[in-house]
Amino acid sequence: MAFFENLKDKALNTFQQVLLDKKDGSGLTKEQLFCQQYHIPDGETLIYRSNGVVVVKSEYNETTQADYQVPLSQGKIYLTQHFLIFEDENDKKNCSFNLYLSTVKKVERVSSDYGELALNIITYSKLHITLHLDDIRSECERFASSLSTTLKKYLKNLNKLQPFIQTCYSEYLLSKNKITNEKIDHVPPGGLGLIFKFPGNAKELRDKTKLKMWFDYFKEHGRHLSLIKTPLYYKLIRVGLPNRLRGEIWELCSGSIYLRIDHQGEYINLLNNNKDKKSFAIEEIEKDLNRSLPEYAAYQSTEGIEKLRRVLTAYSWKNPDVGYCQAMNIVVAALLIYMSEEQAFWTLNMLCDRIVPGYYSKTMYGTLLDQRVFESLVQNTMPILWDHIIKNDIQLSVVSLPWFLSLYLSSMPLVYAFRILDIFFLQGPKTLFQVALAILKLNGDELLKTEDDGTFISIIKTYFHTLDQSAHPSSSNSKYRNTTNFQELLVTAFKEFSNIDEEMINQHKNKHRDSIFQNISSFVKRTEIRNLPRLNNISNETLNILYDRFYSSVEISNITKGSGSSLMDYKAFLKFMSDICDWVQFIDPKDEKNDTHFLKRLFNHWDPEKQNALTFSDLTVGLNNLVETDLMTSMSNFFELYDDKHNGKLDRDSIIQISEDLLYITSPWKEGYLFDEITKVAVENEVANEIYQEQIKNGNEKFELPKHVDVNREKLEQQQVQRYLQAASTFMQRSFEYAIPEKEEVLIEDLAIDNKISHNAALNPNTPVYLDRPTFRMVILADESYELLFSSTLRNATHLSKPLDQKFNPIGNIKNMFDGLLADGKKVANQVRRRMDSRASQMTNNSSNNSIKSSKSKIEEEDDEKDDDFGIISIDEKDKDLILATEAQTLVDPITNKPANQNEFKRFHKAEENSIHKHNKENLIEFET
Amino acid sequence: MSSQQQQSSSTSTNNNSLQQPIPTISVKLVLLGEAAVGKSSLVLRFVSNDFQENKEPTIGAAFLTQKCTINNQIIKYEIWDTAGQERFASLAPMYYRNAQAAIIVYDITKPASFIKARHWVKELHEQANKNITIALVGNKYDLVEDEEEGGANENEESLRKVSYEEGLNLANEEGLLFFETSAKTNHNITEVFVAIGEKIPKDKSNESNINNGNEGGRIDLLNNEHIPQKSNTCC
Ligand SMILES: Nc1nc2c(ncn2[C@@H]2O[C@H](COP(=O)(O)OP(=O)(O)OP(=O)(O)O)[C@@H](O)[C@H]2O)c(=O)[nH]1
Ligand SMILES: [Mg+2]
Repeated sequence: MAFFENLKDKALNTFQQVLLDKKDGSGLTKEQLFCQQYHIPDGETLIYRSNGVVVVKSEYNETTQADYQVPLSQGKIYLTQHFLIFEDENDKKNCSFNLYLSTVKKVERVSSDYGELALNIITYSKLHITLHLDDIRSECERFASSLSTTLKKYLKNLNKLQPFIQTCYSEYLLSKNKITNEKIDHVPPGGLGLIFKFPGNAKELRDKTKLKMWFDYFKEHGRHLSLIKTPLYYKLIRVGLPNRLRGEIWELCSGSIYLRIDHQGEYINLLNNNKDKKSFAIEEIEKDLNRSLPEYAAYQSTEGIEKLRRVLTAYSWKNPDVGYCQAMNIVVAALLIYMSEEQAFWTLNMLCDRIVPGYYSKTMYGTLLDQRVFESLVQNTMPILWDHIIKNDIQLSVVSLPWFLSLYLSSMPLVYAFRILDIFFLQGPKTLFQVALAILKLNGDELLKTEDDGTFISIIKTYFHTLDQSAHPSSSNSKYRNTTNFQELLVTAFKEFSNIDEEMINQHKNKHRDSIFQNISSFVKRTEIRNLPRLNNISNETLNILYDRFYSSVEISNITKGSGSSLMDYKAFLKFMSDICDWVQFIDPKDEKNDTHFLKRLFNHWDPEKQNALTFSDLTVGLNNLVETDLMTSMSNFFELYDDKHNGKLDRDSIIQISEDLLYITSPWKEGYLFDEITKVAVENEVANEIYQEQIKNGNEKFELPKHVDVNREKLEQQQVQRYLQAASTFMQRSFEYAIPEKEEVLIEDLAIDNKISHNAALNPNTPVYLDRPTFRMVILADESYELLFSSTLRNATHLSKPLDQKFNPIGNIKNMFDGLLADGKKVANQVRRRMDSRASQMTNNSSNNSIKSSKSKIEEEDDEKDDDFGIISIDEKDKDLILATEAQTLVDPITNKPANQNEFKRFHKAEENSIHKHNKENLIEFET
Repeated sequence: MSSQQQQSSSTSTNNNSLQQPIPTISVKLVLLGEAAVGKSSLVLRFVSNDFQENKEPTIGAAFLTQKCTINNQIIKYEIWDTAGQERFASLAPMYYRNAQAAIIVYDITKPASFIKARHWVKELHEQANKNITIALVGNKYDLVEDEEEGGANENEESLRKVSYEEGLNLANEEGLLFFETSAKTNHNITEVFVAIGEKIPKDKSNESNINNGNEGGRIDLLNNEHIPQKSNTCC
């Protein structure tokens, strides 16, 4: 089901997402910052930099009269793999460019009036750029040779250029007007506006005039990949872009144009390669397709909806970590009015990766951070309004969050939102803050009168619907009267709040980043744990610990692997298990034989998607089965690990594998490092016995626990080792003894009654046999050590709730345990007392059967233990009576009371023997606490 | 049950049409549920008695108010309509803090939205006001209406994917009000709000007297560890 798909996605990504997002904006490298600053794709590196003077001329320039002064700018020159970048000293205001090197047609040396070396660069757009390098001779030469090697190296990029310029409206415009000789056969692919009309009134917007001005600009200053930015360029953008050029200038400003030329065809390939594939993101996209700018005609048509579907879907494949976020539908729908699908796709990439990182991510980290930053900025710039907002407990984010997330497209009438977007692409995300502050500022007086969210919101709503109206309708000055609210908004935003720059925003971001990060990760944790399937054997606190452990081990393993994902691979899994399980011994994950190893089997079995990695949910579900408290289920779970065919049958190989794995799992006990309950009871018995004997000898009523008792540790250890070796061989033997010959039941049903024959057949290695679930359980239950393994030993040796910071050393631990056991005076004292009581009761009531003990008395013993102090025990007459009374009830001990098992046993001739076995065991467990 | 819807008042807060001394109670109500189940449509129907076929998704949250008279008492609902997409869930605590009522909406034709509803119930029980009144609402009843009135073709798969009983069971287990509604055909919409109005615990603190504004400090965006404070709201 898609929802679960999503949960899984979430588990895979959320945590990593938070980490990734955290890096955004803070963890950028110098190179990345450089690329970001100049809007060029990541990966470009600086080959050369120098100061210099630049002169630009255009062959199309009609004003090349004698008196024409060629503009000259002084500034910095950078060379990267694909770009020649220039920026003048006046903060890029006079002249700057990112020259895409493939547009260079020719480079020639010319004599320089200003520096050591001058190069004349001629572009296909017929620009003549003269670079005068202000550097030492050798460096100038280095530049010249770097430039020429780079140009040669990327000569093949030239092939890309031809098809690319066919997609640029600027090129079409010049060709159509016979300025260039480029043959542009068709109108370049553009936005839906070309078919469904562009929003707003073109005449009112003076669209034609604006287009003409850009036409002139292109002639003089080049276009798209080789455009020179002069003050006029910024002006032309600020007055609002003409409809037909809007898409191209947006992609130029954002830098997405470079992604588009570098990755031609990728968009279509993404769509083709993922055709007919399903994903949760696609489901989410489908829900919103009809809900994106529904008032715009194109989005009531299949054509518009199809385009929207394709761009959003392609992006969800391109960046599955983001997938799809509501509001992206609105942004893309808006882009598609002015842009072709491919243009919109790459611009969306630029938005999500660079311009507003983390806005649409799974945690929406960037959105939350920017809201916090916005609040800080309101507080700093409009303290009175801020106090008012606080005092009245108004949720500012209800109004402001949609502004940022949908880039004002869902808040303002579209024509105005597009004007904001023009400037946003030009000058970056600070625009969103400046406009937001201006909105509050311009409505400040009204807002100060409100006391609740409702009025607050409606003031802003009304304001947005009056953007076309006069800001000062009653002013006598006609200039004022003619100023619209929108114009006033722009002036306020970009004049009054011009000091709100990237640097200030980044400072605020740095201040709030950690707390936002904290909140998100705790939210993610809470949700992820809540969304886990029901786990009966693991408490919520334990899940919290496991969660931290999971992510800490995933992180560590990924740092070494160098790739990010919050899936647990096999290596991390081994580490995880060896940290919490006493029974996991070191195995080398690279070992070939490991494919058959028990842990590998667990890992594969817990990985239902067969992606060779576990999600947190996979892991917890698996662990939950591993520490199953119900004996029957626990054995069944184990059986299932080997039931590869899911037919409830284990074949000969599986049986052998199980017995080997049981050897592996039990090796700490088999080798005497750890003691199981049976041994513990034996130890206690031994100690108690010794003291008891002392007591009898001395005839004391009161006794003191001796400081030291000699127990034959070696003997006990040996007994346990023997027991486990015995268990292993018995398991193997019995498994084959009771294995069911394949086909037998159907073919010779009559003979099957004769157990002897069937057993013999089973022992014959040539006869295919299988072990079914009940038989497997029976074989396990027939051995006390293995039964105990499934009822408690394994579970107790799996420390799910071990705190993350607790280091432990299994061998050291085992030693301590043995010592600790002897030092546990209370337990031993209880044992001794019980013996004394039992002796007393035997004396008073010889007939009572004291081998079976009631659960009630057990509880009371525990209570006693709590009261006892340091092993000094006085035997109370009242206690004696109590125990006597309860013993008489001869209740069945709950631990060994397993009617279900008994039934199964009866089917086998060993049943009797077994029940004797069990009685023995009860005797043993009598002293267990 | 006397329920009378007043004129839409998503903007006005001062109620000058009513002079009689009927006490007005402000109730902060939050809508939660998966994307596109019809939360905003439900509110639009209740507040403006309107329906839009292609309603844009809610970005973040929306805020609307509506008054209605229930049992001689005016209840002013301050409605916080939240965004349904999973990734917006981290914003929800901002909106459900101090809420006295919640409507958890699912789409009876979308089983995943019902699972999501369960999660919201859990989340509210863990994180929200302790005595919050919750209504579980299965929306888009109109889509299954025909097939249920016997007109359904036997062979056709039923559009309904979450049965009435499933919804009711969840509601009973968790002590929620339960309705199946249609924002499109205005089925059971007012009933939801009336039932909430009747069930909501009414103590003095709910009455809108003076606006005491600040309730012990503002909440940080996304401060999930926040434990809801006093249950009174401002008017
Ligand atoms: N048939 C039918 N459609 C409905 C009903 N209610 C809402 N819809 C439609 O379902 C879609 C989603 O409705 P919304 O009200 O925007 O859903 P929402 O829960 O607010 O969605 P988000 O804001 O994304 O969380 C819209 O296209 C509505 O027209 C209903 O009762 N019946
Ligand atoms: Mg909505």
